[in-house]
Amino acid sequence: MNATAVAAVVAQAAPLVACLTILLLLRRRPGLAAGVAIASLVVATVATAFLVAQVAVPNTSSVSQAVWLPIEAGPGLAFGVLLDALSTSMALVVAVITLLVMIYSLGYMRGDPGFARYFGFLALFAWAMLGLVLASNLLQTLVFWELVGLASFLLIGFWFERPEPAAAARKAFIMTRVGDVGFLLGVLLLISSLGNATIPDLLAAAPRLEGGFVTTVAALLLMGVIGKSAQGPLFTWLPDAMEGPTPVSALLHSATMVAAGVYLVARLNGLFMQAHAVMTALLWISVITALASATMAMVSEDIKRVLAYSSISQLAYMLMALAAGSVAAGFFHLVTHAGFKALLFLASGVLIHHAHSNEMRTIAAQGGAPRSGRIGLMAGSLALAGIVPFAGYFSKEAVLAALGEHAGPVALALAYAGAGLTAYYSFRMVFLTLRGSPAKPAGHEAASMAAPVLALSALTLVLGWLGGWFATRLSPDLEHHGALAIGAGPLTALTLAALGILLAWREYGAAAAARVGFVERMPRLRAFFADNWYLDRVYRATFVRATDALSTAARWHDHTILDGASDGLALGTVKSGRVLALLQTGYVQLYVATFMSVVAALAVWLFVGWMR
Amino acid sequence: MTAHGVVTVAMAAVAVAGALMAVGFRNIFHNILGFALAMLGVAGVFLSLGADFVAAVFILVYVGAVAIAMVYAVMLSQPLDQPFVPRSTAKIGAAAAVALLVAGALWHVMAGAAWHEEAWGQTATAAQVGRRFLTDYVLAFELISVLLVVAMMGAVMVARRTGAEGRGRW
Amino acid sequence: MSITGYLTVALLLFGIGLYGLIARRSLVAMLIAIELMLAGISINIIALTRLVGRDPAVGQVVVLILAGVAAAETAIALSLFVAIHRSAHAIDVEKLSELRR
Repeated sequence: MNATAVAAVVAQAAPLVACLTILLLLRRRPGLAAGVAIASLVVATVATAFLVAQVAVPNTSSVSQAVWLPIEAGPGLAFGVLLDALSTSMALVVAVITLLVMIYSLGYMRGDPGFARYFGFLALFAWAMLGLVLASNLLQTLVFWELVGLASFLLIGFWFERPEPAAAARKAFIMTRVGDVGFLLGVLLLISSLGNATIPDLLAAAPRLEGGFVTTVAALLLMGVIGKSAQGPLFTWLPDAMEGPTPVSALLHSATMVAAGVYLVARLNGLFMQAHAVMTALLWISVITALASATMAMVSEDIKRVLAYSSISQLAYMLMALAAGSVAAGFFHLVTHAGFKALLFLASGVLIHHAHSNEMRTIAAQGGAPRSGRIGLMAGSLALAGIVPFAGYFSKEAVLAALGEHAGPVALALAYAGAGLTAYYSFRMVFLTLRGSPAKPAGHEAASMAAPVLALSALTLVLGWLGGWFATRLSPDLEHHGALAIGAGPLTALTLAALGILLAWREYGAAAAARVGFVERMPRLRAFFADNWYLDRVYRATFVRATDALSTAARWHDHTILDGASDGLALGTVKSGRVLALLQTGYVQLYVATFMSVVAALAVWLFVGWMR
Repeated sequence: MTAHGVVTVAMAAVAVAGALMAVGFRNIFHNILGFALAMLGVAGVFLSLGADFVAAVFILVYVGAVAIAMVYAVMLSQPLDQPFVPRSTAKIGAAAAVALLVAGALWHVMAGAAWHEEAWGQTATAAQVGRRFLTDYVLAFELISVLLVVAMMGAVMVARRTGAEGRGRW
Repeated sequence: MSITGYLTVALLLFGIGLYGLIARRSLVAMLIAIELMLAGISINIIALTRLVGRDPAVGQVVVLILAGVAAAETAIALSLFVAIHRSAHAIDVEKLSELRR
């Protein structure tokens, strides 16, 4: 194996070793557990940085794998690592953000009785996510996909003693599971017909596959994407997932895990592009999701829920770009979003930690917000709204440009509308949280929490310049505009963003503002937006009720029919035994009588006809 | 009907009458006497079939030994001083039913069969029987003797008093 | 008499013996009944080998063996009855059954 393959394996193995060590040995040594976890992530970061330098910068591509299951129809299933610009960049993003979140958690989770368990689960997540990103075989991706879902379940429900986190964890797991069924079926279809699930081989074979098959496979794989990235009908688990600790929300539910769906589409771009109908469907699903989640963010009172809806919306933008054919734009936005969304969550975590509440108005009323929190929130929101020179501007421009070239005008217009709403709700959040506070000296926060926030704030200023770098490596056949190109597109976007911020200022930020939004003045609309567009209610009335009915019927069947049958069999045996026991009297004459009668009958039956 | 036939029928009647006495009477001694009478009748039937040796053996063994042994056993075991408990009608009815069923079935089998009576006119004399015993069936002959010795010893051992009831009394 | 006549006699003895075996309470009475059944069987064998079969000597041999075995059996049975009476103080078969009726 060459050096890069070794580095890839080390990057995955370090968190795995840390996870096992912590969960098996270090449950009562929280300090040591955190140290082990952070050390393993440092190793992973160094390894992935090495990979980026060796693979992504020179834009090479390699696969190192070993066959473990031979298959009739093809070369067999092999697990290994696939190293190219896409996978190594994503791996570095995952490692860096995980490391920053772990450092942040030292301060945020201090004193929690499950401190060691928390770091163990974070290490588990890091292993699974890196494995997913670096996997060379689609089945291997699926395995790690499920492991990531497990880590998400464990971390959302981290404070499992309370009912809400436990319910949220179950909901997340089950909803993503629904999507994963499609993913699994798609993978199985591919394996059964091609005998191979190695990703480069699949991409090479894609153009030769017949249309119906490709469409079916793409649609099935898309189900997994929709579930994992909280799009379309399967998004309602993500707002509820905010029951987990804020660093978990920062890591899993904004920057990395939910981005796994986007990563999958980017990874299998060659395959998906062959299924035009599926890509069109994806485009429209993401457009609608982007707008719908933006409306839900506009009326939320809980700062984490605003950020959750925002994540859904931004993921939709990434998928829009991919549906329009530009892997570079979609992935670029994924990277910048990972940076500024994690920043927003961590910053909000500082504020939440200080005010002991998630409600924005409560945080404002408390006053004395620590400085890193304020800085982080501002910087992140500017990036989210797409204001130059923050990273979000450049990546959003790339997405809108891709849409403009390959999607229709309707989709583009809706995307622009969404951008405007994004600016509005993000600054609504900023102003609700940071304005209207009593004058108080700024509070202090732990250095372990401040440092990652400030680091990410600085990073959002820098990440924006990577657009061209991604474009040449990920979408070399698309034309790429310069980063600071001035044109109708960027100007429209900036104008809409500015308008959104102004509206938010007028409603929330100004000194004499009423702090009530225009949507909030329409109570019926507000209720509709706030309740996930009533989607949860629909699900409860249909699927949940149907499943309950089915389970009641099944339980009845089990008790009455199955238990009844086996109990009946047992009772019948006992009863027939009692009847037969009547013959066991120990009474010789009864035995003689019975035996002789039978002999007589036998004699007649056997001999009468025979002897004539 | 020849004289032979008349005598045979008479002997048969005696046997059946004795059998009825053996199962019908209440007093166990009457049963034993009936049994002895029945065996006499059976011996007569054997004689009419020309099996004179067998008839003699039957009289010696059954009437002479078995019946007497039964009398001894009754005297040693039967609680003759206790009041007689009448038999349940259900039991008698069931017994009669079973007996009739079996007998009827067997009779049906027998009567329906096509017997080829070979008028051989041969009988086997005691000499012939003896010769057969000591040539073809010598093994059975020897085994019978062993069996009888074993039975004798067994009977003695089973019936002796053991333990505290008395050592060396037997 | 014809063969069926002899066989009928044997059958009568057998049937009466079977009745006695089932109906009587006393062990000795049951033993008498068993002996009656054996007698009937003996008549059967002698008659068949004499009138229907070819070798009457064999029939007599068999009956003699049978009589010997029956005698041995009677000896053992009677001593058993004495022993039973000694331990259970009864030779009523209805009293001697230990399984639940």
